Amino acid sequence: MTAALSDISLTVVPGEIHAVVGENGAGKSTLIKIMTGVYQPDQGELLVGGKPVTIRSTQEAQMLGVAAIFQEPMVFPDLDVAENIFISHRNMGVLMNWGKLYKDAEEIISRLGVTLDARRAASGLTLAEQQTVEIARALSLNVKMLIMDEPTASLSAHEVERLHVITRALKARGVAVLYISHRLDEIFRVADRVTVLRDGKHISTKLIAEVTHETMVRDMVGRAIDDFAVKTAANPHGERLLAVHDLACEGVFRDVTFDLHRGEVLCFAGLIGSRRTDVGLSLFGIAPATAGTIELNGKSVAITSPQQAMELGIAYVSEDRRKLGLAMAMPIFANVSLASLKKFLRHFGLIDRKAELDMAEGYRKQLSIRSPDVVIDVGKLSGGNQQKVMLAKWLETKPRLLIFDEPTRGIDVGAKTEVHGIIRELAKQGVAIIVISSDLPEVMTMADRVLVMREGRQMGVFDIATCTQESIIALATGQRLAEAS
Amino acid sequence: MNVFRTLHPQTLRILALAAVLALTVLFFTTQIDNYFSPRMLNRIATSAAVILPIAIGQALVVMTRNIDLSVGSVVGITAYLVGDYLGSHPDINPFLAFSLFIVLGAFCGAINGVLVAYGRVPSIIVTLGTLALYRTFLVEYSGSRTITTDSLPKWLVDLPQATAFTIGSFEVRVMVVMALASAIVFWIALSRLRVARKLYAVGSNPDAAVMAGINSARVVFVAFILSGALAGLAGFIFLSKFGNITVVAGLGFELKSVAAVVVGGVNIFGGSGSIVGVILGTVLVDTIDNSLTRWAIVSEFWRDALLGMLIMIAVAADTFMTRSFGKLKGKTP
Repeated sequence: MTAALSDISLTVVPGEIHAVVGENGAGKSTLIKIMTGVYQPDQGELLVGGKPVTIRSTQEAQMLGVAAIFQEPMVFPDLDVAENIFISHRNMGVLMNWGKLYKDAEEIISRLGVTLDARRAASGLTLAEQQTVEIARALSLNVKMLIMDEPTASLSAHEVERLHVITRALKARGVAVLYISHRLDEIFRVADRVTVLRDGKHISTKLIAEVTHETMVRDMVGRAIDDFAVKTAANPHGERLLAVHDLACEGVFRDVTFDLHRGEVLCFAGLIGSRRTDVGLSLFGIAPATAGTIELNGKSVAITSPQQAMELGIAYVSEDRRKLGLAMAMPIFANVSLASLKKFLRHFGLIDRKAELDMAEGYRKQLSIRSPDVVIDVGKLSGGNQQKVMLAKWLETKPRLLIFDEPTRGIDVGAKTEVHGIIRELAKQGVAIIVISSDLPEVMTMADRVLVMREGRQMGVFDIATCTQESIIALATGQRLAEAS
Repeated sequence: MNVFRTLHPQTLRILALAAVLALTVLFFTTQIDNYFSPRMLNRIATSAAVILPIAIGQALVVMTRNIDLSVGSVVGITAYLVGDYLGSHPDINPFLAFSLFIVLGAFCGAINGVLVAYGRVPSIIVTLGTLALYRTFLVEYSGSRTITTDSLPKWLVDLPQATAFTIGSFEVRVMVVMALASAIVFWIALSRLRVARKLYAVGSNPDAAVMAGINSARVVFVAFILSGALAGLAGFIFLSKFGNITVVAGLGFELKSVAAVVVGGVNIFGGSGSIVGVILGTVLVDTIDNSLTRWAIVSEFWRDALLGMLIMIAVAADTFMTRSFGKLKGKTP
């Protein structure tokens, strides 16, 4: 078991905007969770105002003046702006003094340098406005350090600007801001110092003037690229299976164009929020595209439901095993046969339990699912083995096109290598494969070609041999590098 | 259209409810002879007086994303048990007697509350269980005896006839005033007390409530206690109104109270609702209920079916409205 974080030393001073960057999985979220009392550190200490503290809950963090806002704002939709701001306050008397409440709320909002009607219901606010409410709430509680976790991930350019106005207003008031973002250009605009994390380790902390895009990206990726160049020579590809042209889903993504051959692995790279998953979901018919064409085996198809996608030989192995993939309280064999139950139906529509068990047993051996038998509930397996069960379920549908969404997220290194091996093997057998992955080393290992997305737009499709991790990150963060063209 | 846009959705909803109520009364006036009379109004008002406290309690619970199905049984238990006690202790101070109803009701509510808030059992299961348990306890306790008017103290028996004040030829009964008073107390409390905001907050976004340092469990617990106490108040009004109490007292009140609450605009998924809406919802439900018994065309057995339909229509309308509002919201950048 490796530590999620080790040897992190970080000092944030009042009136500073301190950016923290790192790839997905570098340990940023864990760091925030420790600072806000969600997790407890195994080693090391936290000091607030020079005094060592233990933070056991969000409330304790709040009392110490540490607050956090996240990508998804935490507001009460049925309450108005002012109520939302003051909901955590104690000692404000038993009775509501509505007049004073609105006046105080307006005063706090104006301190942030923006305008927002304190009487509006939170349900009608945009995401950016809800964020403002959360920041105002923190400010009203005399926040000393505000942690912003990917605050701009779902904001438009204009809203980002507004958030930066607010962030600078906080800085001017002596609040320390810990600003976590994937968007490097933003960091250059707003941050004073930047700390880079990688693989749970502290790589560097520098003044923003001392770093460039290039050095920051190098720090983030770090490892020599050839560590990962263990891939066998590209497979000889079969005929073209899929051709996607100008695919779009209104308000989500657009201009997605690529083709895919049998036996080929195409990776979708990009940051969280780049809408890669939405493209995958549209190919599987869960959120059908609103424009563009999909050709499968030379025939134009409109995929409008998962049932239809499955009939066309498309399978989707989702990222969220709990929500979309597996029935945790059902045994392995029942999960595996779920997507292809028809095959096991015999007389009177009864299920042939023997055939079902044999099939599942076959997968248990083939994919080395670590479980004594196939009648154990899936919920009792480890993450990696759950992932294999889900894979078995889709393999049993004998797909021509397999879409993997973050196939190795949250599973350990050993299982990860196994899953990679299985994917490679499937490609060898002629299955066309799409892997949506935020894990760049994984992309470098797995992909024959890579499609990079950023904020719902396709930035390009590249042969993996012409890419480096730096060039992919540069494209995904919107910073164009000559080498990536 | 512009007028509707400027109005708060809650206000709009209350206006719509008032309009539906007026139309209902108008409809029955054309259908039933001598309908719009002080006698009929009094009948509806005293009937609504029993339901109103329960509906308010139900509203408090529903606002926290829960439901209290045991209210009917709590009304039965308080009416019967305290009625029985008053039969053997007729000289007890009326105020003490009154508080017995409230305390017994609150106790029943506290049992629900502990199981839901601290035991983490879904409220629909807990209160479905206590709905049956409280009732069965009552049946066992009663030994199929009936509490009769003769056994009750005179002040209690006379209460239903007591008139607080008169508007024209319409005499407003004391028990109607009591029910309304309880409504007004909670109306003010919900709009003026700081703790009431927590009630809405917990129902509105439970995750955010935890992050904001609100003790959600305690809020839910208190909501159930209040629901029980208000059911105790309803038990008092029920006993005084009918005098003769059997073990079926309060049977089916859960349906009526849920109907009144959702028709009155309390969001069944928690977080919003107003007492004014609940009052109107209760009056509407009881108007329909009482009118149907006198309407020759329709069998009175349709009353429950109609209540059920009302609940479904109200929630369907809610869902529809939320969805269309949601769409509008999605379009703004």
